[in-house]
Amino acid sequence: MMDDLIRIEHLTKIYERGEVLALNDVSFTVKRGEFLVLLGLSGSGKSTLLRCINRLIEPTAGTIIFDGIDVTRASSRQLRQIRRRMAMIFQQFNLVKRSTVLTNVLSGRLGYVSPAASAIHKFSKQDIDMAMADLDRVGIPEQAYKRADELSGGQQQRVGIARALMQQPDLLMADEPVSALDPATSHSVMQHLETMNREDGVTVIASLHFLSLARRYGTKILALKDGEIVFEGLPTEIDEARFMEIYGEEAKEVEVR
Amino acid sequence: MKKPKKSKSARRYPLLDRLVVLRPRLSAFMLDWASWGYVAYGVMYLLNKYWYLRYVNFYGRLTLPAWAWPVVILATFELVMLSHASGQSIGLNLFGLKLLGPDYAPPTMRQRLHRYVALHLKLPFQPLVLFSDRPLGMLLHDGERAGCMFQVARIKDDLPPEKPGRWYLTYRGLCLAGLFGLTFWLGWKITAINLQMLVDRVSKSSHIWHDLFTPSFTYLTESVNERGHLYSITYYMMETIFMAFFATVTGAIVAFPISFLGARNIMGFNAVGWLIYSVMRTLFNALRSIESILMAVLFAVWVGFGNPFAGALALFLHTIAALGKLYSEQVEAVDPGPLEAIAATGARRWQVVIYGVIPQIIPSYLAFTLYRWDINIRMATVIALVGGGGIGTLLFYFKNEVGRLDDAWNQVGAVIVAIVIIVWILDYISARVREKIG
Repeated sequence: MMDDLIRIEHLTKIYERGEVLALNDVSFTVKRGEFLVLLGLSGSGKSTLLRCINRLIEPTAGTIIFDGIDVTRASSRQLRQIRRRMAMIFQQFNLVKRSTVLTNVLSGRLGYVSPAASAIHKFSKQDIDMAMADLDRVGIPEQAYKRADELSGGQQQRVGIARALMQQPDLLMADEPVSALDPATSHSVMQHLETMNREDGVTVIASLHFLSLARRYGTKILALKDGEIVFEGLPTEIDEARFMEIYGEEAKEVEVR
Repeated sequence: MKKPKKSKSARRYPLLDRLVVLRPRLSAFMLDWASWGYVAYGVMYLLNKYWYLRYVNFYGRLTLPAWAWPVVILATFELVMLSHASGQSIGLNLFGLKLLGPDYAPPTMRQRLHRYVALHLKLPFQPLVLFSDRPLGMLLHDGERAGCMFQVARIKDDLPPEKPGRWYLTYRGLCLAGLFGLTFWLGWKITAINLQMLVDRVSKSSHIWHDLFTPSFTYLTESVNERGHLYSITYYMMETIFMAFFATVTGAIVAFPISFLGARNIMGFNAVGWLIYSVMRTLFNALRSIESILMAVLFAVWVGFGNPFAGALALFLHTIAALGKLYSEQVEAVDPGPLEAIAATGARRWQVVIYGVIPQIIPSYLAFTLYRWDINIRMATVIALVGGGGIGTLLFYFKNEVGRLDDAWNQVGAVIVAIVIIVWILDYISARVREKIG
């Protein structure tokens, strides 16, 4: 199918010499332009799933097809070319704290630039202009020359988004992007993701904790429990019973407005 | 997370897993054997000191006949078996092993006796357990009748809570106290500590103390002997400082790139990475364990006795090893998050190092380098003992002139004052700079 950006078949990941089964025979597809939300408790395998897609974690078994290319069989050179088309943002932002915001954003370009120039921190005028434009887009152009750890949490996550934008990705993976942020900031970050999804046509896979956010932003929902898919469908299809199934009997929905 | 099904017959544990589980038991055994061997050595030494020398032969030395060595080895082996069968030993305690009945009940006397016998009978067949289908960590003698050796960490949730007793009443406390006492006793005798002598012979050194505290600065700026290439204290002070500076800077420059090769998280977890990592770490440790003063012995012969180049080379080599190890540990301690993020953008591994690792480690690298300069200065003051150059050249020259020169000790005093001043000043500078960086 041409409109499938990602096809995952029988993906399995076992950690620690067979002690922990993190993903158990997971199969699904993501269409181009979709905003897929991953739901599930902590430890249900969401982060592992995302990191398997760009092979930050090596899957134990199964295949991942990204835009017709088999990621699981890619050589390290091919893998780098695949990775620069998939951007990723993280729960803890994962910025280099002692570097400037601009350097952090520019590092999103490392997959494209000439290796020799990047070794001496030299970026082309084009790349720097692009970085400033991306910072402008996420609303923090004035912070460009500050050290990353001087910024607030919400600002740091926006730097993360700018770094992702630098990759001009086809796919954006967000690993609990708003778990460390307050509700107001959460929405602003999620809106940036939504804009990328709607206007730039970037396919998004985001793992979230709040069902309300998932309903508001997702076009499709995938729920994991103990490394297996327990629900796949539209956000509107999740009712009380489904919710219990995903989060366990004692769970109660908390809303973020 | 869910555990995979552990069926008894379908899936056997891989050999590696079995070895990993058996490792603490083997380590405990070896440690106990070593400690019983140490006790045997201590007993021999003290017997020699208090009985043989006094009552048998003052000039002699108590040794065992050749046939007795295997007996001692077997006897200590037997002692380990005994302590393991009773479930009480330092090794078992340290490696978190506990002897219990199969139902986690404390072992009975009967089980302990049974275990002691079983250990002897089944010992030769122990390796078979690696290829059998017994549950992980169960050796041949583990079972209903002889009790099982459990790893406390694995079963701690099933154990009834234990009230902590006083440590010196526990078996481990008693053993450690006993071993410490033995070590203290042996150490006192072996190092020939004699406080009486210190008091009785105080008059022998009093004039030296007097001379040292009235230093004579004749040669502060004047050369001692131009023809013999012995210059002034100031000259050697500068030589010392620059020797240490040069060794530190060049050592740090070399250690910087190779420290990444000795870092686990950079080298990855594949076979090649592991090999390079191990080689680098072994090299660092081997070089580090040879004091720079020993290396200077070699270099002094190579480039000439008293040549500061020899000292600088020795300090340089030692600095590479010491900084290499400290640097590598810093690299291993970096926050992995940013590295993951940069790798995810499609960057090469060395780009991850440049953009993710280096910004994180710069402050601690600078601090360690300055600290190393401190150490090198102190080392450079005495490296002349083996011909490495520096201010020690004068120190040992004047010390050897005692008896020929009347004011030799006064001159030594002056050199010591100079050394103290250099070390103080540079200590202060490096402490201030490190404060600023930190």
